[in-house]
Amino acid sequence: MAISAATKAATDALAVNHAPTSVNAQEVHRWLQSFTWDFEKNRTKYPTKYKMANDTKEQFKLIAKEYARMESVKDERQFGSLQDVLARVDAAKRVHPKWNETMKVVSNFLEVGEYNAIAATGMLWDSATAPEQKNGYLAQTLDEIRHTNQCGYVNYYFAKNGQDPAGHNDARRTRTIGPLWKGMKRVFSDGFISGDAVECSINLQLVGEACFTNPLIVAVTEWAAANGDEITPTVFLSIETDELRHMANGYQTVVSIANDEAASKYLNTDLNNAFWTQQKYFTPVLGMAFEYGSHFKVEPWVKTWNRWVYEDWGGIWIGRLGKYGVESPASLRDAKKDAYWAHHDLFLLAYALWPTGFFRLTLPTAEEAEWFEANYPGWQENYGKIYDEWRARGCEDPNSGFIPLMWFIENNHPIYIDRVSQVPFCPSLCKGASTLRVHEWNGKMHSFSDDWGERMWLSEPERYECQNMFEQYEGRELSEVIAELHGVRSDGKTLIAQPHTSKDGKLWTLDDIKKLNCVFADPLKSIKAGDR
Amino acid sequence: MANYKIHDNPVRDEWTKKIDGLKTLAQGAAFLVDFRQKHTTPFRKDYSLELDWGWIECKIEEKVAMLKHAELNDQQFLNNNTCGANAQTVADAVVAKMDACTDKYEAEKLHINFRIENKPPIMPVNVFMDTDRILGTKLMELRNTDYYALPLAELRKVRGVTTITLQ
Repeated sequence: MAISAATKAATDALAVNHAPTSVNAQEVHRWLQSFTWDFEKNRTKYPTKYKMANDTKEQFKLIAKEYARMESVKDERQFGSLQDVLARVDAAKRVHPKWNETMKVVSNFLEVGEYNAIAATGMLWDSATAPEQKNGYLAQTLDEIRHTNQCGYVNYYFAKNGQDPAGHNDARRTRTIGPLWKGMKRVFSDGFISGDAVECSINLQLVGEACFTNPLIVAVTEWAAANGDEITPTVFLSIETDELRHMANGYQTVVSIANDEAASKYLNTDLNNAFWTQQKYFTPVLGMAFEYGSHFKVEPWVKTWNRWVYEDWGGIWIGRLGKYGVESPASLRDAKKDAYWAHHDLFLLAYALWPTGFFRLTLPTAEEAEWFEANYPGWQENYGKIYDEWRARGCEDPNSGFIPLMWFIENNHPIYIDRVSQVPFCPSLCKGASTLRVHEWNGKMHSFSDDWGERMWLSEPERYECQNMFEQYEGRELSEVIAELHGVRSDGKTLIAQPHTSKDGKLWTLDDIKKLNCVFADPLKSIKAGDR
Repeated sequence: MANYKIHDNPVRDEWTKKIDGLKTLAQGAAFLVDFRQKHTTPFRKDYSLELDWGWIECKIEEKVAMLKHAELNDQQFLNNNTCGANAQTVADAVVAKMDACTDKYEAEKLHINFRIENKPPIMPVNVFMDTDRILGTKLMELRNTDYYALPLAELRKVRGVTTITLQ
């Protein structure tokens, strides 16, 4: 069929010069760089001591279209595995019961971190001036939204398909009862979104993500797999694929301020405080979750910590930033001392306070005790014999009328809470580096467990305004607090928390706790009374 | 000793009644600033509301915001503090004091007092937020300069703490 001259001309022209069917992603990224603003008149909403450079680059150069394509593929793989293969093989029921309990805490608490990271990266987007740097932060904001949903989904999946769903299904309302919550808020919330915007980036990206996501998100998948959990690796490794971009963002934050004279005055102090803030919680809590929340052991936490925190991060990663004036934190040495015993100290207290949890804890078995002693010589003498005594007194059985918290009171081992980190410690029992110091200021008592944290409080006390659980519940009977804060299962009387994971073991109820007549007391008031 | 529930408790009921009694903006704003001075910030005079001050302050702020909505016109709402003073003038005066300040403890008081006296709904949000950013930036600069200059024992003295126990 004959065609018109005009159509022929157009067809011939297109044969030589193809009409664009898509735009090259890197062309779009280059085009984005023209979105500069006049920063003489604009300013960030957030305070910062630093000035980020206006020509900062970013390594990944993602645009929204490419980002969405990449993440949708990851989501298809992840949700496809969970909803098809893993559901068919009944994966959630094959997880070891101890590890099932650990994931109640890990996934729910990480959800909080991811949620706050949304705000943190939004704040950084607002604070940066370079379009490319803003683009990097924007991609991270989208990641953090994805990760928040993924963490929530892990708990949902376990609750729907797994064993003992109590805790997985309502952690958002029960997680505030016990002492682990406020410390987690300190690192995952306050650390990421309060204060100087660049300091928040250091907390989130340079320390939280570059230092602790390897132990948190990668190591947890090894422990999970060893304990029969194929769900957590499916989701957490998908999360981890985004983390490299976040670490790069932290690197670029430092690059963006490298030429600012403020960096030479403040950067290493901010890094030291950020590292101490993050490690003070993560070092003991992650070690406790892995070693005491599992049946099948992988690698001792102290070795993991030494490799990933001390050598990889403190040495190699921070070493690469040395050319910008960044030094390994002075507190790294003290943290290394704590990495050996701190998680053992914390489990002793966590088990003593088990009724305030939203998960079940288990005393180490004889086989596990051997593993602990082999990897931490001295463990049996310091911790094992206490667990033996508790077990002999029937701490797992509600008919015994004994919870280990009573042992602390009987033996005059008061438990304090560090005002800055909100991490509990028992100075008369701990083998870690914690030491008690109590100060009174403007009519209020404050306890601390280390030099670094004490200095942080002395420097900016308003930042650490927070009642700890002993101040909050003082004078109240334990079962009343648990009932008010929804720490019971659907029958309205059986506790979500239990001191064992045995299928045959009896479950504790509110009545069992009430019979103990455990009333919260603030240890700082006893000190004050004694002092006067 | 608290010994009452966290969310529904007699202390909150008592303060809810007091807040219900606030009928004018001047009365509400004065009540709010007085409450903040007595019960909030590390410099507070009274720790008896330790568990509930945050909730109570929030409820007073809600009431003052409603009274402000009822009494101020749009122009005043955007530009004036609840007392009628021009918000930017108030803010500029505090920023000038902060600019001249070289002592971190004085700067800390300036910043905390600014929040006590002006945190919304006393001052319009558009003026407060930017002023708070400027004051916060200067305070952080002063606090972080020579951060490790004093040994802990000296720092405790300068902060004015009484050491009860030192292990």
